[in-house]
Amino acid sequence: MLTAFVNINSSWQVRVSFDAVSAETGSEEGAPVSAGPNPIAPEIKELAWGAGSFIVFLFLMRLFLVPKVRKGMASRYESIQADHEYASATRDGARADVARYESAVAEIRSEAARRLEAARLTLDKERSAKIAEINEQIAARRAQAETEVAAARAAAQGQIVSAVTAVTTRATQIAVGVSPDNAVVTRSVQQAMEGTRS
Amino acid sequence: MIINSILSFEFPPINELLRWRDVVPGLNKVGIIAVAAALIGTLVFLSAARKDPKVAPKGTRNLAEVGVEFIENNIIMQTMGRDGLGWTPFLLTLFVFVYLCNVPGIIPFIQMPATARMAIPMFLAVLVWVIFNVQGIKHQGFFGYFKSVLFPPGVPKALYILVTPIEFISTLIVRPFSLAVRLFANMLAGHLLLVIFALLSEALFQARDKILIPIGVLPFFMLVFLTGFEVLVAFLQAYIFTILAAVYIAGAVHPEH
Repeated sequence: MLTAFVNINSSWQVRVSFDAVSAETGSEEGAPVSAGPNPIAPEIKELAWGAGSFIVFLFLMRLFLVPKVRKGMASRYESIQADHEYASATRDGARADVARYESAVAEIRSEAARRLEAARLTLDKERSAKIAEINEQIAARRAQAETEVAAARAAAQGQIVSAVTAVTTRATQIAVGVSPDNAVVTRSVQQAMEGTRS
Repeated sequence: MIINSILSFEFPPINELLRWRDVVPGLNKVGIIAVAAALIGTLVFLSAARKDPKVAPKGTRNLAEVGVEFIENNIIMQTMGRDGLGWTPFLLTLFVFVYLCNVPGIIPFIQMPATARMAIPMFLAVLVWVIFNVQGIKHQGFFGYFKSVLFPPGVPKALYILVTPIEFISTLIVRPFSLAVRLFANMLAGHLLLVIFALLSEALFQARDKILIPIGVLPFFMLVFLTGFEVLVAFLQAYIFTILAAVYIAGAVHPEH
């Protein structure tokens, strides 16, 4: 038997001592002791139960359990692999669809831009033509107006000349007592007006 | 002032700690633990095998698959390579059985690792010894195997006088012995440490001198710490036993490695 003594003295030192004592007799070491069974030696019944349990466990694991678990794992891995491949194919298909869509969008954008450019050109051409037509109309109207203005001015000038001629003739007749030649007066008035105007 | 207090406690006889009375004739606690280990392992894998493998693994299925992958990736692929995957059932069984025999050392009210008795480690070590020798003879032939074991290539012929007896002893005699004793001694030492600190804690907590009672916290702390440590030791010893078995088998099958 092992007995431990813990001695505590004033300096708080702990001493543990083990004294070998026989389990059967309780006698101190040195006295005749009964050895008892070796604690390290294997017992037949433990060996039998341990070996039997392990062999049965190994048999079940080897023949049924591990293959079934492994088969399940393999089938799930295959399923995951198949799903992964399907997902990859779907993703590739989707990417191809996206590329086609983007290509179509680019083509439509290009067509739209081309049509817009054509429309813009047509519009510019039509606007230029309209502007030219309107400018022509404006020029024609301006020329007509200028003609009318010139005619009116000429008419007004004639009236002024005749009036001034009449006044000049009358004034000369009153001042001199002789009526001047109407053609001479008229020419003189016209010359005077032109000189004023220039 | 001198305080003379003596605290004494009786350490139980070593046989009382290790040898268990029969629960039923011919079956003691160690036998029950071995049977329970095989039963628990079987039930876990049976439950795992019955679950639908297509869905994400949970519970026992997850545990079983983690076990299979652990053995395959961390033991077989590291020591035997892809050719050794056929050894998964044996090595997995070995690991699970040793681990489940170790773990009861820290389970309250059981507190006895079945591997702290020599019977189970000895049987498993002898089994591994038989297997790696049979595999060596099977793959290399009787003379080829013993030639590769006793006369390792690349050694000067004069040194065979020394090397051959050393190889004979180390490979054919010491290997099973060391395999068994490593597991047995580690688990026995852990078990005895837990017993010592548990008894010391109890003795100090129940001391007549009240001043000794707080000191009981120290061995109790060590008891808790060592219990946690034994969780690691239980796993580690199962792993070491299994990986050494794999190394020995791989060495016998592929001596060039």
